[in-house]
Amino acid sequence: MARMDFWSGAVVSALALALIIWVIPTYGGGGAAFGLPPQLLASLGAWLMLICAAALSLVSAVKLWRAGESPIQLPSGSHLWHMLWPFLYVLGFIFLVDRFPLTWIAPLLIGALLVILGERRWYLVLPVAVVPALGLYVLTAHLMRIGVV
Amino acid sequence: MYLKRLSTAIVATAMAVGVAQADDFPSQPLTLVVGFGAGGSTDIQARVLANVLEEELGQPVNVVNQPGAGGGVALSRLAVNDDEGYTFVFGTSMTITYGPLSTETNYQLDDFRYVAGVTLGQSAMVTGEDRPFGDTWEGLIEYAKENPGTSYATQTALDRMIIEYIAQQEGLDLRIVPTSGGAGMAPLILSGDVDFAYSGGTHSGYADSGEMPVLLSLAEDRLVAFPDAPSIQEAGYDINPAEIRVVMVPQNTPDGHVERLAEALEVATQDERFIEITEERILMPVVYMDEDEVTQTLSDQVTGYRALLEELGGVPGEDDED
Amino acid sequence: MIGFDAILASFGAAFTFHSIAVIFGGVLLGYIVGVIPGLNRSVAIAIAIPLTFYMSAYAAIAFLIGLSKGTAAGSAVSAILLNTPGEPSSAATCLDGYPLARSGKPRKALKVGLLASVVGDLLATLLLIAVAIPFAAVALKFGPYELAAILIFALVFIAGMAGGSFLKGLAAGGMGVILGTVGLDPETGAMRLTFGYAELMEGVPILPLVIGTLALSEMFVQLEEYRRNKDADVIRLSKNADDDLSYGEFKGTLPTIFKSTGIGAFVGALPGLGPSVGAFMAYGFAKRSAKNPDSFGKGNPNGIAAAEAADNAVIPASYIPLFGLGIPGSVSAALLVGAFMIHGIQVGPLMLRDHPEMLFTIFSGMIVASLLMLAIGWYGLRIFAKVTSVPPNIVIPVVIFLCLAGIQVQGYGTFGLIVVFGFAIFGYFLKKFDYSFVTFLVAFIVTPMLEMNLRQSIILSGGEISILLERPIALVFVIITALMVLHLGWSSYRRNASRRAAS
Repeated sequence: MARMDFWSGAVVSALALALIIWVIPTYGGGGAAFGLPPQLLASLGAWLMLICAAALSLVSAVKLWRAGESPIQLPSGSHLWHMLWPFLYVLGFIFLVDRFPLTWIAPLLIGALLVILGERRWYLVLPVAVVPALGLYVLTAHLMRIGVV
Repeated sequence: MYLKRLSTAIVATAMAVGVAQADDFPSQPLTLVVGFGAGGSTDIQARVLANVLEEELGQPVNVVNQPGAGGGVALSRLAVNDDEGYTFVFGTSMTITYGPLSTETNYQLDDFRYVAGVTLGQSAMVTGEDRPFGDTWEGLIEYAKENPGTSYATQTALDRMIIEYIAQQEGLDLRIVPTSGGAGMAPLILSGDVDFAYSGGTHSGYADSGEMPVLLSLAEDRLVAFPDAPSIQEAGYDINPAEIRVVMVPQNTPDGHVERLAEALEVATQDERFIEITEERILMPVVYMDEDEVTQTLSDQVTGYRALLEELGGVPGEDDED
Repeated sequence: MIGFDAILASFGAAFTFHSIAVIFGGVLLGYIVGVIPGLNRSVAIAIAIPLTFYMSAYAAIAFLIGLSKGTAAGSAVSAILLNTPGEPSSAATCLDGYPLARSGKPRKALKVGLLASVVGDLLATLLLIAVAIPFAAVALKFGPYELAAILIFALVFIAGMAGGSFLKGLAAGGMGVILGTVGLDPETGAMRLTFGYAELMEGVPILPLVIGTLALSEMFVQLEEYRRNKDADVIRLSKNADDDLSYGEFKGTLPTIFKSTGIGAFVGALPGLGPSVGAFMAYGFAKRSAKNPDSFGKGNPNGIAAAEAADNAVIPASYIPLFGLGIPGSVSAALLVGAFMIHGIQVGPLMLRDHPEMLFTIFSGMIVASLLMLAIGWYGLRIFAKVTSVPPNIVIPVVIFLCLAGIQVQGYGTFGLIVVFGFAIFGYFLKKFDYSFVTFLVAFIVTPMLEMNLRQSIILSGGEISILLERPIALVFVIITALMVLHLGWSSYRRNASRRAAS
């Protein structure tokens, strides 16, 4: 736990630092305002993140050091892949949905994932893949009348 | 000379093609784009309009929401669309008249054709009950001259510019408070924290109770529900901020398609359902303004706004107190 | 103000066939969601919001509230039969529910849970109606000063109470604040953090944010955990005549139910604590005040009753700050704010003034939902017992599809899909590293309101802080907030110090 705290704190601090130094001053907007300048609240939020995350990181670093644990422990390759593939799967389908309507892609999206998750009974895969897409079709084309999305 | 003749020829050909196509337009489903989220007043109106148009045009009319940037997202997509009138935007004129002046946009007034105006906006300057200046515009101006720091709640970049212009004309020192939408403005006015405010249409809901008197109509004429308040022109300011709800198509849409849509819209403005949803639920008058009239009005407005901005010395918001 | 006739009419509106059908749908769906362990309340509400677009505003809200209530009741089923809480807040129900079911009395356990749920929910709903209206009537008089002060107070309170690490909670809140400021600056008209995207001009669109951080990210977490707990032991309902709840037994649990409802309602009304805290507090209290504390944890019906009554009482009670002040105190309340916004209604005290009929119809709809909950739970016992065995490998793909469908239906297009995906990654890390969700979401929702009110206060007062002396309510909240910050800082320092002394 302390290791996770240490690393998440470090990442959040880095993010907050980037926000404070670069993103907010560049993209935060400007202009004279009476009272609250446009960047004020965002900067306050970023400082809050920085202070809290840095403190968290520091406290857990001390804890790690006292317990004599190393702060670095690389996850195994297979574990990493196990974490990563769902994101890639969804991202791939987002690219597909950009080209074709979701209603047509949906059975593939659901069905393929079902099969990947180890479902082999076709009489289960088929309805689970098709019924939601059908529902979306009825909702968009008939109830909301916005056309097939 | 040659160039002019050529362009006339092109226009003539285009018109001929347009007329030829008009016979079978529309031959496939149409898309009505709303630049605001589902459930807002534009959206509610658009869905009824789509139903009526569908019967009139004989093709399905789908409503699609493309929310963002006060209707601007829908317009910037429409500007690069070329499916000849099958996709059109139903929106408010402020997005196209003042939008390009106040923010950077990838569209301009002449990127679109304005098929027809179907509803008149009812925006106004409003105040609350029992104010020291009563409920007249002159009363307010008198009061504000004597009381520097009189407060005004703004909702849009346009009304901010108008009030800054008025303040300059009358020599007022106002505290201009930002707020979001009618739901943000109403509590400020009703609780008495702000002296007067811009209102897009919220005041219509308080017409019966009298809790939100109108000081000044920001439409071309006096408001339907508040005939006693003068219009902004009557009050002596040379601005026409009248808001019109219009149907827009890209500039390159064939004439025949625009005419067919305009016909259908004219019928829609006489349809019971459209009149009911607009006049009774949203409380705005239904009109029919043809393409020439709308285009003229809008381009006059843009010219007027531009002149006003120059007089104020640039970007709105710059001359706030500090 | 609204007349008595109008109130009656609004109640009538909630009892029409259409209205009851919508609420029935909501409660039923909520029940199913609650029963299925992999699906939780916020996931369900997040993906249901887009499905309510074509409904009227009232129907949409009633549906979502029904859904939210249904999940709290349904989650007891899987807690009892599966020893896996359908919602995290039903973890306390497992403690006695599972042992009782193991001992051959699953039906009795389920019925105690159901009745406690319904009573807790109904009483808390009545409390909401009784409290929210006078609250809103007072809050109507609030100006920007009071609202700004109360919003700051609520933010600090939620960050302090949301559980987990205070530091992580604040950091998540900071992120929420930053995202809340994105969009057109209302005062200067400057673009803030929009990176040139017109879609961001009106702020980060709430729907992609919510669906991404809550629903899609949850599916990623579950996909990762999917292999670990594949098979669980489901207890089946027997035909045993001995296994039923008698009236006498139910009467015996009533005192526990009432007390727990009170605890749940109190916890719910405070922003940020959430149903898990309510349920465990009520369980602990029931155990301590019982004559035979040792029987708890071994299948004592009172344990089930305490946990379920409190769990369900939290939900309606958490709407008190929502309807009374416009401040969401929980994730599901924050989602309701989004649903209201989508339907063009600003939730909060102004509703009492501008849409009183709607407010009363929603309240009566909530009562209808409680009663439907009883009917659905009672007659659907057998079916829901079967639903517990719906495997996650069916749930996950369908939910992923629903997440994407929600974005497409609302018309955000590819931009929306990318935003959803981005926030799913963000939400995944929030979950993995245990950063507070409530603080993030509430900060995101509250920041625009806070900034607006703060700004209005500063401009209206001309920047003079002495205005607070004329505004006693605002002053009180400012002082309480300051004291709370001191207290939170001091107690976390003390906690750290004592931990260090111990180690």
